[in-house]
Amino acid sequence: MSTSTLEKPPSSAPAKQKVILVEGNEAAALGVALARPDMVAVYPITPQSSLVEHVAKLIADGKMDADIVDAEGEHSVLSVLQGGALAGARTYTATCGPGLAFMFEPYFRTSGMRLPIVMSIVTRDGITPQSVWGGHQDAMTVREVGWVQVYCETVQEVLDTTIMAFKIAEHHDVMLPVNVCLDGNYLSYGTSRVELPDQAEVDAFMGDKNVNWHVALDPLRPMAVDPLTGGSSGKGPSTFVRYRKGQCKGMQNSLRVIEDVHEEWAVRFGRRYAPLVEDYRMEDAEFAIMTLGSMSGAGKDAIDEARDAGKRVGLIKLKTFSPFPVEALIKSLKNIQALGVVDRSVGFRWNCGPMYQETLGALYRLGQATGKMLPAQSFIGGLAGADITTAHFHRVIDATEALLGGATMSTEPVWLNEKD
Amino acid sequence: MGAFNTIAFDANKCDGCGDCMTACATAKTGTTEISRSRLQIAGNAAEGFELALCRQCGDPKCVTVCPAGALGKDYASGVIDWNGDKCVDCLLCTVGCAYAGIALDEASGRVAKCDMCDGSPACVSACPHDALKLVTTSRIYNEVGDWEDLFAPGLAGCQGCNTELLMRHTLRRVGPDTVLATPPGCVPGMGSVGFNGTTGTKVPVFHPLLTNTAPMLAGVKRHYKRIGREVTALAIAGDGGASDVGFQSLSGAAERNEQILFMVVDNEGYMNTGMQRSSCTPYGAWTSTTPVGQGTGSGGLPSQGKTQDAKNLPLIMVNHRCEYVATASTAYMEDLYDKLDKAIAASKRGFAYLHVYSPCTTGWRFPTDQNMEVARKAVETNFVMLWEYTRAGGLRFTRPVDEPLPVTDYLKAMGRFRHLSEDQISHIQGKVVENLNFVKQMAHRA
Repeated sequence: MSTSTLEKPPSSAPAKQKVILVEGNEAAALGVALARPDMVAVYPITPQSSLVEHVAKLIADGKMDADIVDAEGEHSVLSVLQGGALAGARTYTATCGPGLAFMFEPYFRTSGMRLPIVMSIVTRDGITPQSVWGGHQDAMTVREVGWVQVYCETVQEVLDTTIMAFKIAEHHDVMLPVNVCLDGNYLSYGTSRVELPDQAEVDAFMGDKNVNWHVALDPLRPMAVDPLTGGSSGKGPSTFVRYRKGQCKGMQNSLRVIEDVHEEWAVRFGRRYAPLVEDYRMEDAEFAIMTLGSMSGAGKDAIDEARDAGKRVGLIKLKTFSPFPVEALIKSLKNIQALGVVDRSVGFRWNCGPMYQETLGALYRLGQATGKMLPAQSFIGGLAGADITTAHFHRVIDATEALLGGATMSTEPVWLNEKD
Repeated sequence: MGAFNTIAFDANKCDGCGDCMTACATAKTGTTEISRSRLQIAGNAAEGFELALCRQCGDPKCVTVCPAGALGKDYASGVIDWNGDKCVDCLLCTVGCAYAGIALDEASGRVAKCDMCDGSPACVSACPHDALKLVTTSRIYNEVGDWEDLFAPGLAGCQGCNTELLMRHTLRRVGPDTVLATPPGCVPGMGSVGFNGTTGTKVPVFHPLLTNTAPMLAGVKRHYKRIGREVTALAIAGDGGASDVGFQSLSGAAERNEQILFMVVDNEGYMNTGMQRSSCTPYGAWTSTTPVGQGTGSGGLPSQGKTQDAKNLPLIMVNHRCEYVATASTAYMEDLYDKLDKAIAASKRGFAYLHVYSPCTTGWRFPTDQNMEVARKAVETNFVMLWEYTRAGGLRFTRPVDEPLPVTDYLKAMGRFRHLSEDQISHIQGKVVENLNFVKQMAHRA
């Protein structure tokens, strides 16, 4: 784990993997089991509940060797894991929506203490208007707290990414917590054929564990963990700045590590995912739409249909949202002339989708480099469980194409499900 | 016998009968001449009695002044021995001693002093009024004195605060194989976790959040247990975090019977942040958020201190059926030490909870040299009750106070109660009785 270079991949083809039919929450649980955490803490919340039920059953059936803590709430869930991680445990949990909001205090602290905890967010909309259905509002709301956040598109990707997340989090150049985001309802309950990696091969992939080499609560090497820092001048605030800069460095390092870990995964297990930004039919695209998470499947179908109709349009999907993969995204954006960004959540401050807002920053960098001012439109859809269909994506494609013809960017988002 | 035990005298119980002196003379000289007794009771019933007796001092003046080396402290037995072969009968020792603990025995022409009768003094057993008592509180000093102090010198507590005393004693007892959690409050405020890279603690220590002390510590303990390492998980927390914002997580950890020792230092408010009210603040107390004024306080009641009664957190913990729950006071260290030992042992099996009342000289507004006196008065008035709970034995008083002082003896010692009206005082006195009866009922049921 301590090396930043890839181990030599096996020369033989990946071993045959067992094929099973599972929902996304069970796929996540199976990924957790294969990653062999020492400790999991659980508290149920829709649509995450079946995930932790699967984890509990795997442990109860002796198929997974971990200490399970049935905590009295999400705040304690993450707190227990922090203690475990500081004692050297590999740790895991899952939550969403109100649960994520309730655990915000220890959530903020996990990244500050550089604890490589992995937590699935089975994304959920809300909190008010009340909803128990899917949407990215929960994960987006906490995007500025220093966790690595990756979004999955398929059930297979949920399983594979859950395992990879531990390796990314525990990489000594990263040492940050990781959220594996899977869309509530669409991925949590969506049942799909998946290939189950072999335990011995996952063990070889994971390598050795050392999660508290940098900060520990251990009588054999006593230290004061997280003493007060700061003040109006001198050593205090400069100490604080060093901690913060270290966090930022870890975030930036994670971009390379995410790529390396995905590459090693592809070599060992034969499944290749775009680690940061995926280009779909972008080779000669004049314009593009941008997606996140499970909506990307319908988006790709719509692109195929638009291509058949003669439109030179492609799709850009973000897998890694935090840290924001600016450089990789600029490479995808540099040859197109218009962009439509589809968010599954709301950015209240800018009256647009959060991914759109973040992309505007990347467009500014692109403009600095090329002088090009790329027109881009924000679309918001799929809130509170709503389906984003190919029909919705055709509206996105048409409205984005109109920008090519000189239509002006609206300061208002287009609300895709408003009149469904 | 411990090395620093002594014989204590309660003048209020003495009626001057002289049985002790007769017993001493009999034991040491074979006569009943009380003038030959090595302890002497002086005075009368009207003006009170005084005791002249060797205190077996730790740093004895008689030994220092002896020119012949005839007196010496035996550090194994604790007794100051007199060696007649070396003594030159100069009597300097009788001048050096401030307690008249060594005196000329005219019959023998030599000095004589108490030798503690090999650990069971004849005078103590002879006293019909319990006025003499062999005191072994120094067991703490004897046993713990040489153990390593696991806090650095110079913690930055307020002047007169006894929480530092509590911290040092607790950590000495628990020992170095400990992970210590000190959530925001006075304990980290005085430097246990530290500032900008320095720390006051020699064991692993951390700031939990105010809200998650118990679960974070439980996570640490669970992993060490899983990998087969024996580590004590200790929290020294404040009453505010435990009873208010952190109560849910405390309750959850207790229900799961996590193997931790959770000590609450109860100074009845958020003293570190400026003396604000907590749910452990007693009725009527001034705090910076229950100030005294002409207007109204919480609930529209007159603004004359806190308008609600305190939450009884230790009783709530009893209802979690913890492995061990006890209340303690820094004025009764022997009692506290017994409970600390039991709590440490219980924390190897499950959740142990120790609630220590710790007067706050700054926030309760009393002189800095009065901390022990305030703590003692709280117990002597039954404002604070010292008890312990185990699943097998139920609840029992460890220092029952059968003839309590009026609660005003406690209240008047502090500025925070200075404004109280007669009605408020009688409310508090009524609460003391109500609380006592409640705990007594629990004790009887056990």
